[in-house]
Amino acid sequence: MRSKVLAAVAMAAAAVIGMSGCSSPSSGSGSSDKEIVLWHMEDTPSREQAFQKLADEYNATNPDYKIKIEAQDWGQVYTKIAGAAKSGKQPDILFAIPDFATYVRGLGLGQPVTNIVQDVQKKDGLMKAATAPYTDKGDAWAVPLYGMVQMLWYRNDLFQKAGISTAPATWSQLVDDAKKLSTGSTAGIAVPSGKNLATDQVLYSFMTTAGAANMFTPDGKVSIDNDKTVAAFQLYKQLADLSPKDAGNYSWPEPQAALNSGSTAMAIEKGQYLAPFESESGRPASDLGCAPIPVADNGGKPGSIYYSNGAMVLSKDKAKQDGAGKFLEWLLDPKQYGDFLNAEPGLFLPVTDNGAADSSWRKNPVISKYKTCVDAMLKQSETGELFGFTDGQYISSIGKISGQNILAQAVQQMTVNGKSAKEAVAWAQQQMQDAIGK
Amino acid sequence: MTASVSTRAARKVTSTSRRSAAAGGRQSAPARALGYVLVAPIVAIMAVVIAFPLVNAVITSFQDQGVVGSPADFVGFDTYTKVLGDEKFWAALGRSGIWLVVNMIVQTILAFATALLLQRSNWWSRGARIWLMLPWVVPTVAVAVIWQWLLNTNYGIIHKIFAAAGVDMGAPFSNGPLALITVILVNSWHWFPLSAVVIYGALATVPHEVLEAAKMDGASAWRTFWAVTFPLLQPVLFALGLVGSLWSFNVLDTIYLTTKGGPAGMTTTMPVYIYDTAFSAFRSSDAAAASVLTVIVLAIAGVLFVRFARPKDIT
Repeated sequence: MRSKVLAAVAMAAAAVIGMSGCSSPSSGSGSSDKEIVLWHMEDTPSREQAFQKLADEYNATNPDYKIKIEAQDWGQVYTKIAGAAKSGKQPDILFAIPDFATYVRGLGLGQPVTNIVQDVQKKDGLMKAATAPYTDKGDAWAVPLYGMVQMLWYRNDLFQKAGISTAPATWSQLVDDAKKLSTGSTAGIAVPSGKNLATDQVLYSFMTTAGAANMFTPDGKVSIDNDKTVAAFQLYKQLADLSPKDAGNYSWPEPQAALNSGSTAMAIEKGQYLAPFESESGRPASDLGCAPIPVADNGGKPGSIYYSNGAMVLSKDKAKQDGAGKFLEWLLDPKQYGDFLNAEPGLFLPVTDNGAADSSWRKNPVISKYKTCVDAMLKQSETGELFGFTDGQYISSIGKISGQNILAQAVQQMTVNGKSAKEAVAWAQQQMQDAIGK
Repeated sequence: MTASVSTRAARKVTSTSRRSAAAGGRQSAPARALGYVLVAPIVAIMAVVIAFPLVNAVITSFQDQGVVGSPADFVGFDTYTKVLGDEKFWAALGRSGIWLVVNMIVQTILAFATALLLQRSNWWSRGARIWLMLPWVVPTVAVAVIWQWLLNTNYGIIHKIFAAAGVDMGAPFSNGPLALITVILVNSWHWFPLSAVVIYGALATVPHEVLEAAKMDGASAWRTFWAVTFPLLQPVLFALGLVGSLWSFNVLDTIYLTTKGGPAGMTTTMPVYIYDTAFSAFRSSDAAAASVLTVIVLAIAGVLFVRFARPKDIT
């Protein structure tokens, strides 16, 4: 008898533990009549404080709708916004990146913001790379707020020690320099190979410089199995071999820490490298060098991954949509746009021409100290691309590919399972087709 | 002969204590009713909290839902057919089996050794009772960060120590074959104190006179442990094994925070597979079906464990 009770307990416990993770998520917050709720996922203290300060400034102008900011976590926002959509308690404004925006639209949320984008375009001049990923069939689905672009970062002091006078401009120069810079305690370069978005992004930057940025056919089918992509994969494998041994588990912070500690001489990432360089490395700012992503030797072209971070308007109430539009236009006004960008100086890049020239942004100590690199990032942004949104495409299922980090998994097929670049690309092609097909 | 005398003594102690417990368990009807009333609220809350997601998951598993919470159609057993045909599902299930067994072995050995050491009455064991608990109270996210830093090839102290000794330990979290065992060891390090404390508590209940009798019979320490102490601990070990295995099987955080299931899926156990399917691939129904199938597997394993690992004295 008792054994039956124990068996029942075992089954119940198994059921509870195993299935409780598959429940519906909790709902979102919703907003009151005279309030606009804004969700963002920049949940580091400095960014939260800067955003809150701007909201307080805006609310002090006595707008029809006051802004209420709620910080969310990137890891949870997918389920949270799905729950909010189900319960009808979505935020009025939601910060987004392009593939997340396609996900949110798939939930039946989001209003066209074409008018707001056109207004900003007329007034301040928006970058094409910033608006393109949110444009679907002529309508804009998010107002671009700030951009992020990858660059090649390097240690000038280590370059000098190795007798290298200029930054590599081509893939072959990059590999040669990485080999020269590899010593007993220093890796020539640190490219991440973990199953994460960081690896996706660095690999994609090389794919853009190989001319393989477009991963789809005009009718939206996956099309990465080609010589240019294979070449980018081959390069990545070479660089992975020259990276620290545990780069197979690297994401964003590890290459930066390695560069700052001097245990690697080069890394590829966005502008978050600027602000902490001196304090973390103990070296002068002049020791941090930057350059565009090296291009393929044969038929390569300038390029890099570029993330346009925007704000979607989710409110279904017309008056609140107007209120949200006013706030977003206020935010992009050069009078306060600099303060907004300086929530994370160097990482958040302006998406408007006036914003790029704005003195309040330029006066920030980090931006002025690394002016050359900042200008180089702005230049690199002009050739920025993002998977699923190149050449005027708008692949609504791209989230299923980026969410599973299929590019990163393909890298691991080479670095862990010993597949060739050609085999890894074929594997990725199949995985992407399956992901979209399911 | 010596061992059998001691074993009989141990059995006698077990059955006597059970009779005492049974006698003490007889309560009056009002007292029993009061007990039910007192636990009723939590039972009701748990029923709602557990029943709703449980039923919801089963319903979802018969649909074709993509994003969690999005509209879906009923598709019968199609989702199950798809999941059962996915080789990654079977690979994850197999890996979970390895994860469960190796975790159980490592944690049991560590816990037993620690509990026996703690039993000694000296300054070291008194101090150890406190610091032993440290891994258990450290949040999992901190455990993941600690071990990633310790094993980092640039500045990890363990890596440096091995390097100083002329041993290149490589990169345990990113080395294919090594990654799973590394995460298992990290998880065991995190959770073995719980088992150690339970076993330590159980050891304290072993009657001193039985151990004395074994000693007088001339049994060695090893023989005393196997013939007297271990049988007396079996009910506790049985319960610990059952609950601990279920907990262990469902560990997601430690794996996700250290390797995210990589490299190349080498540490993708069933919870990681289910999580990735639901929240990375946005195939909620597939994840729900995998959850239901996992529950069935766990239930079968639980029944088999009860049937074959149950101490003979428990009927």
